[in-house]
Amino acid sequence: MESILELSGITKSYGKIKALQNVSYQVPKGSVFGILGPNGSGKTTMLGIILNVLQSDNGSFTWFGQPSSADTRKRIGSLLETPNFYHYLSAVDNLKITQAISNRGTEADIHKALETVKLTERKHSKFSAYSLGMKQRLAIGAALLGNPEVIVFDEPTNGLDPVGILEIRELIKELASQGKTIIMASHLLDEVEKVCTHVAIMKRGTLLTAGAVDEVLANEDIVEINSANNEGLQQLFTNYSGVTQAKHNGSHLQLFFTYGTANLEAINQHCFNNGIVLNHLQLKKKSLETKFFELTND
Amino acid sequence: MLSLIKIEWLKIKKYPAFWWMLGIVALTYPGVNLLFYNVYQQLTEKKDFTSTIAKQLFGNPFAFPETWHSVAFFSSCFVIVPAILVIMMITNEYQYKTHRQNVIDGWSRNQFITSKILDVAIITIVAAIMYAATATGYGLTIKEDNTAQWSEEIKYIPLFVLQTFAQLTIAFLLGFLIKKAFIALGIFVFYFAIVENIIVGFLRFKKIPAGRFLPLEISDKLIPGPKFFGRFNEEAYKLNLSQINEHIVYTIVLTTGIWALCYYIYKKRDL
Repeated sequence: MESILELSGITKSYGKIKALQNVSYQVPKGSVFGILGPNGSGKTTMLGIILNVLQSDNGSFTWFGQPSSADTRKRIGSLLETPNFYHYLSAVDNLKITQAISNRGTEADIHKALETVKLTERKHSKFSAYSLGMKQRLAIGAALLGNPEVIVFDEPTNGLDPVGILEIRELIKELASQGKTIIMASHLLDEVEKVCTHVAIMKRGTLLTAGAVDEVLANEDIVEINSANNEGLQQLFTNYSGVTQAKHNGSHLQLFFTYGTANLEAINQHCFNNGIVLNHLQLKKKSLETKFFELTND
Repeated sequence: MLSLIKIEWLKIKKYPAFWWMLGIVALTYPGVNLLFYNVYQQLTEKKDFTSTIAKQLFGNPFAFPETWHSVAFFSSCFVIVPAILVIMMITNEYQYKTHRQNVIDGWSRNQFITSKILDVAIITIVAAIMYAATATGYGLTIKEDNTAQWSEEIKYIPLFVLQTFAQLTIAFLLGFLIKKAFIALGIFVFYFAIVENIIVGFLRFKKIPAGRFLPLEISDKLIPGPKFFGRFNEEAYKLNLSQINEHIVYTIVLTTGIWALCYYIYKKRDL
């Protein structure tokens, strides 16, 4: 699959603190790429490097298969850390500057972007008069200006109310359905799981894992079963071939298998042959949250 | 280049503080010269002996062609006012973090510094227009019986432009490195008004010629005191006049060096 962004061995230190250590991965075209990690894991540092506001100590990266340059950045709509605008200018005047620098879009697109982020009514108010959520919306609007092919969002739902969070989630899904590549750093695991197709998990500057969400989560099969006789059920699977672990999760029994080896039909047959009728049988994925804590907990 | 000017224009055209400060800059040059002219008039307008002596001593520094020189000198003492504007324009970018947003949006780091050179150049041009208009105003108003051409000392216009640009460049460097408006401005004013004058005075007292190579003194030497200064110390005045060409070169070298340093630092540092 064609890569939009390719990082190779990116390293960055602040004195003795190693903010990024030899980070390499690829962002496939058309993916929604989530970057997860606890505070201080290096997510924003990495976005700062790929947007050229921070210098890496080592390593390299390419955008669209080319070395990063001002021209490649013009093709990327970005919101990095905080909304950065001229406080004395209105939303429209600020976006005119964004438009003039990036050459993305036209004056009509400025109004369209403001409409998308629901700032039309306040488009002539000064930025300094905006609430935190409105500032965040304007920054998202600036990133969307001129319909860029790649969008980089650093904590896009910061400062937004629940309705705003839902709207941004829907917006990201809509952008993804248009074939845009979206790179998004977030603390919100649920958020990432709902919208991302790919994920990278970082901790203390190290990349722990990266890839398609299904691949990252699916390193084992979890089969959830239930019957009227749960005690008998657990005994039945004590020595069942391929089961690495069996444990109760609420009223259900969870059976763990090596990835790709669970056979639901065989499990059902095994129960039936031993006089137990299942009332619940489901192959479950591990939640991103579970996986995240598994990887990032010391 | 034009697109950079256009973008800088978008940044400042609706910035009230910029226009207030520009208005103050525009009023400063006629204002300070009016102050000096009033002092001159009080000394020379009477018909008594003292006024006659004063008139012979000072000549008329505000008449053509001497007005180009005198007004340039008096105006140059107030470079602090446009320096406030220059420091404000760079430190605002840090305060709002727009210096990094401009790069994220698609400017190269070099383009950002080039846009700031253009800001300093535009403020210099505004200051120079106000200086030239003030000098012309005095020259046209004050009639003096002399045979000199009105344009004889007009070389002080480009010298004023170069001096103002060079000294505003130093103000920019302070804002660029320190990032905080009040601290940068405080250091600039303290150095401009006190530190360098003390050092220059001390070195002159010790007869060490190195004083003329201090950062602001290098370009201060482009516009020596008005002609009547020569009546107090003719030898020193002639020496100052003879050093102007040399100092044009030093000023250009220093100013170019400062901007090269800004490009280098901005290219290397994290934003």
